[in-house]
Amino acid sequence: MRSSRTMTLPVTTSTSGGLPWRHILLAALGVLVVAFAFSANGYVVTVIGFAAIYALFCTGLNFFMGFTGQASFGQNAFAALGGYGSAILTADYGFEPAIALILTMAFSGVVALVVGYPTLRLRGHYLAMATFALGLITYEISINWTDVTQGYMGYSGIPPLGIGPYYADTPKQQLAVILILLALGVLAAAALKNSRFGRACRAIAGSELAAGALGIPVARYKLVSFVIAALYASAAGSLFAHFVGFISPEVFGTAMVVQSFTMLYLGGIGTIAGPLIGAVVVSLLPELMRGLKDYQTIGYLVILLGILIYAPKGVAGLLDRLLPKREG
Amino acid sequence: MAMLAIQGITKRFGGLVANDDVTFQVEKGEIFAVIGPNGAGKTTLFNMIAGTFPPSEGKVMFDGAAISGRPVAQIAQAGLVRTYQLVQLFKALTVAENVMVGFHRVTTGGVFSALLRPPAMRRQEREIAAKTAEILDFVGLSHRANVTADLLPYGEQRLLEVARALAASPKLLLLDEPAAGLNTEETAELARVVRKVNENGVTIMLIEHDMGLVMQIAHRIAVLDYGRKIAEGTPDEIRVHPDVIAAYLGGTEGYDD
Amino acid sequence: MIDVVQLAQNLINGVGLGLIYGLIGIGFCVIYNASGIVNFGQGVFVMLGGMICATFLAHAGLPIWLAALVTVPVVALIGVAMEVAIVRPMWKRGASIFAIILATLACQMLIEQVTLLGLGDQPRTFDSFTPGGPLMVGGVALPYQFFWVLGCGALMVAGLWAFFTRTRSGRALRACSQNAEAAALLGVPVRRMMMLSFALSAGLGAVAGILITPSQITAYNIGTPFGVNGFIAAIIGGFGSAAGAVTGGILLGVFQALAIALLGASFKNVAALSVLLVVLLVFPQGILAQIKTLRSSRR
Repeated sequence: MRSSRTMTLPVTTSTSGGLPWRHILLAALGVLVVAFAFSANGYVVTVIGFAAIYALFCTGLNFFMGFTGQASFGQNAFAALGGYGSAILTADYGFEPAIALILTMAFSGVVALVVGYPTLRLRGHYLAMATFALGLITYEISINWTDVTQGYMGYSGIPPLGIGPYYADTPKQQLAVILILLALGVLAAAALKNSRFGRACRAIAGSELAAGALGIPVARYKLVSFVIAALYASAAGSLFAHFVGFISPEVFGTAMVVQSFTMLYLGGIGTIAGPLIGAVVVSLLPELMRGLKDYQTIGYLVILLGILIYAPKGVAGLLDRLLPKREG
Repeated sequence: MAMLAIQGITKRFGGLVANDDVTFQVEKGEIFAVIGPNGAGKTTLFNMIAGTFPPSEGKVMFDGAAISGRPVAQIAQAGLVRTYQLVQLFKALTVAENVMVGFHRVTTGGVFSALLRPPAMRRQEREIAAKTAEILDFVGLSHRANVTADLLPYGEQRLLEVARALAASPKLLLLDEPAAGLNTEETAELARVVRKVNENGVTIMLIEHDMGLVMQIAHRIAVLDYGRKIAEGTPDEIRVHPDVIAAYLGGTEGYDD
Repeated sequence: MIDVVQLAQNLINGVGLGLIYGLIGIGFCVIYNASGIVNFGQGVFVMLGGMICATFLAHAGLPIWLAALVTVPVVALIGVAMEVAIVRPMWKRGASIFAIILATLACQMLIEQVTLLGLGDQPRTFDSFTPGGPLMVGGVALPYQFFWVLGCGALMVAGLWAFFTRTRSGRALRACSQNAEAAALLGVPVRRMMMLSFALSAGLGAVAGILITPSQITAYNIGTPFGVNGFIAAIIGGFGSAAGAVTGGILLGVFQALAIALLGASFKNVAALSVLLVVLLVFPQGILAQIKTLRSSRR
């Protein structure tokens, strides 16, 4: 391509990029939340810890749904694999938590590969129902395979995070580890998003036809994207097990699916910041809705439905409208 | 050697013969157009070349290798890149990103290089960015680089599709009715771009309804009617070819293409 | 060694339960055909049918037939509310199908939570429609309720057939499912048809819930398994006809009964879900898509 002029192109993307103070605003909010967590009492630490774990989970889900444009209603299956895997390896077999985390992630990744290969050929309602079934199967197994999972009773006595002599004994130390892992996870997602691989995934979401015609192996990239989401989910499940010290089937039930979707849609699906915003806001909602008591869950669901109907692009979409990007 | 050789292609859908023993060659460096009335079998032929479905009989040779029956992505990987009659942009991506995706075929790197960002990968990203800017400049879309694709007016969406295909450095660019839905001004702009692309060494084959555009830019033309090739030649030859005139004047109310 | 009598008993139970799945499956088909939406909240209607009927019986002292007659329209109205308040606005805004699926799922959970608050978390049940029984045939017990399920199931299928072929609304609904645009041009009120489909499908779910409660139990959270099994029934049946869904349901019920006999009761849901995956994966394009291809080629 010969061209009379050469110009350098500001490489910005559709969703991040633009005015730098938007990043600054988000970063400042993040710092504020973290600072608040570390200065506050144990309860706040727990809430922010859950938010961070969910944020990690949603970041993975967002890669598969927001970027690659697919749908999984059964990511809770991989969180369960991570949670139970870590619990069993550390509590029963005395593995190092860090090693157990990595082993279960690898295992979940392999499961995602094997399960995803046939499943991801499905589209639309069938894909949704098949993935939903994966989550339900895992849930049923976690209840009924009592020899391994201890059924409804749940699994307790899971040690805190750590490796070798270094253990995160206090909740605040645990929170610090979770936040570091979350930061790594988000950076990885951002790096993937703006890469050859990530652009190809987002192209698949736009038009599988055109992506294929440009030489992108659509089926393979969908599968890799599914595995990535499963790795995040598995890590989130493991972190949850170590953070709380106890897991039960209910932790990874259908409620988890709906909760994570609420976060994703509220924060803004298909953006890097969306899952973070969503996880923090949704985790704080119960605190804001304390007065509602029993009606809390109803409050959530009404909010989710409201967002789905009236603001399908979520808070990040709202930011886009309020702080529009530079053009040209 | 011919860039593309269509050898006795026949396609049947049930009892319907969409293409009947069609043979022609597209030479390296030319702009070759396939025209014909509605239902002449142009789109079917196009889809067989691009790999959407295999021919019932016959062979498609691309750059010396038989490609008929191979999947779309593999054919694209070999350097035969197509555009679509109904624009298929990645609407949530910016104009620049759309073009960057086009480089997929000629670049490397997967998940690990994205995470580790080795120097080679960073260099590649810089090259992609620079070449993207060149291509956008080339088709006249530089001012739109950071707009999401769905906000472009229709004419520019067409241009973007061509730009994206160019990024894949095609040996042969297939354009499926590129002027469909464009006004005269937009068509003229498109003609200018297509010529420029061809001058840069890209072989082009297009199917098109807009006779004005075809006569203006094509070096050679093949005419299909009822699935058969009825004529082949330069625009001047085609213009006066009796069978072509008959096909276009004698009621050609056929099935829709 | 498998006990033959026990196996026969399991099969009978499976057929009864399968018929219930079939009714739920028909509900899926009715909505899908009218709107192209698969309502992931379908199971909630089954729960509502059982719970509301149980409440009328226990607190209002109504006889079973009256309680059932009141319950079905109430649940149908809830179905209409779901369509009007959630599905239609999303549909109008061109929401993605995944968003609509999620919304129907959220709607199910919302209704479950409201039920939990209003009626508590205690499982409920009520007596069989007719006292006495069971009928013993060669050591196999046939509870009277089994005959009620068979009879009502047959009645529903016959009624639906009559509705779809003999009434104006029914024919209009079928027209919508074949070609919504053409139906609209012919003056069929497509939107009202969508509402009707939700009412019909919710009513069917309620009937299923009322029929099954005496032989099982009902509680605020039984919706999901029933919904999923109904979906499986619909898929096996090809997502088209009522008879197909019922056949699919009975096949599923029998399969589950066999799974219980061989693997034990706790893995019956896993078995059913595995059937779902196998059916889905054997038809990678989806049976729906195949029907569509047939349809468009006919057009």
